[in-house]
Amino acid sequence: MTEPTSIAMAQGSSCWGCFQSLIDIHLNLATVLPLIDIKYWQCVADFKLKDLEGYPDKSITVGLYEGMARTEEDIHLLKLMREKCKILISFGSCSCFGGIPGLANFSTLEECLEVKFRNNKTVKDGEVPTENLPTIAPVVVPNSTIVDFEIFLPGCPPTSKLILTALTALLEGKPIELPPHTVCHYCDREKKETPIEKILRPYEGIADPDRCLLEQGYICVGSATWGLCEGQCVNHGATCRGCFGPPPPITNDQGAAAISMFGSYAPLESEVLAETVLDPLGCFWRFTYPTSHLGAIRIKREEAKTK
Amino acid sequence: MTTKTAAKIDNTESWEPRIVAFCCNWCSYAGADLAGTSRIQYPPNARILRVNCTGRISLEFILAALEMGADGVLVSGCHPGDCHYTSGNLKLRARWTIMKKAIEQAGVDPRRVRLQWASASEAQIFADGVRTLVKQVKELGPIMEEWK
Repeated sequence: MTEPTSIAMAQGSSCWGCFQSLIDIHLNLATVLPLIDIKYWQCVADFKLKDLEGYPDKSITVGLYEGMARTEEDIHLLKLMREKCKILISFGSCSCFGGIPGLANFSTLEECLEVKFRNNKTVKDGEVPTENLPTIAPVVVPNSTIVDFEIFLPGCPPTSKLILTALTALLEGKPIELPPHTVCHYCDREKKETPIEKILRPYEGIADPDRCLLEQGYICVGSATWGLCEGQCVNHGATCRGCFGPPPPITNDQGAAAISMFGSYAPLESEVLAETVLDPLGCFWRFTYPTSHLGAIRIKREEAKTK
Repeated sequence: MTTKTAAKIDNTESWEPRIVAFCCNWCSYAGADLAGTSRIQYPPNARILRVNCTGRISLEFILAALEMGADGVLVSGCHPGDCHYTSGNLKLRARWTIMKKAIEQAGVDPRRVRLQWASASEAQIFADGVRTLVKQVKELGPIMEEWK
């Protein structure tokens, strides 16, 4: 038996879903746990931030960072993880592309504070808390612009199977080989290459279980999404929302590709499309807005304001 | 052109908008050619890129151009119904509608982009389209100005 690999797991602004997915490998934990030596994991092991700060540089072999870096504390933690870890993994879509927390870039920081604290519908005389809390960064930037990562493991969350495959390969010192196919590759539905007649919202009509959802008029971005999920949603009757981000190379603009595909299938009149596709930015760039072209323009503009 | 060299040009006093124009091989590129041979005067700001069909244009082209500092993007193709490949321009039109909404949501002025139909014989329409877009973009100013 070889020495256990030292590992640190850190969380920024996110929902803990990715680590939940890691724990969901269930009985396989029995094989994985003896192979690792946990050095830091906020919610699971009793280490404090000062413990992580105290380790020598590059002393931890593997680091996983989940979530966006929205607060000053997150940014500090992310930079700290980079200093202490030899291999840093961008864990989950929030960490890779911005994910759901990245949608905050739709609004300015003031607008966010207004809705969340000052004018919150469930709070009377709300005010923005100031004591004992880290400052919030004015705009969400992709983690990859703050530090460099060795590995990107997207997903919202990455499936337990994917985590197990990646972690086992990593612990054994083998390269992580992931198939590059999109979600359509795993989808069992039949495609007839027919144009869309009418765009449907998810609650409208009853979808044919055997035909491509996009062809039936439901907006499915599976064709522009990396299929590491193995088509879970589409094979269970729900459209793909694109949570695994673009297929490799993952620097592609997922939303642009999805709209291009959608446009090819729906050569409808402009007025009809404008009325039925209500929120294209939130629909096609739901998980990748900060790393997309439009998101980058937005970030540059918001950053310019604070200069 | 990289973003770095582009930024240098923006710093000069006499700013002229840089327009990326995608023209389809069968109609608008020939139209632009005709505009040249007919000696029709139009602003020299448009850098014309030929694509076989407007249906070939992925939105990545347009959005990447804007991100890299193009002040405006023009797409010019065959009239609906006249596409050399039957329906390529209709596909682009559908993408265009959605993209225009999205860039507005992201805070980019939709007057920076323009879609027009100009056949191979409509040199004047092509030239007028370029002129209109250059005028719109000049009113808006350099896109990079908003980022500095």
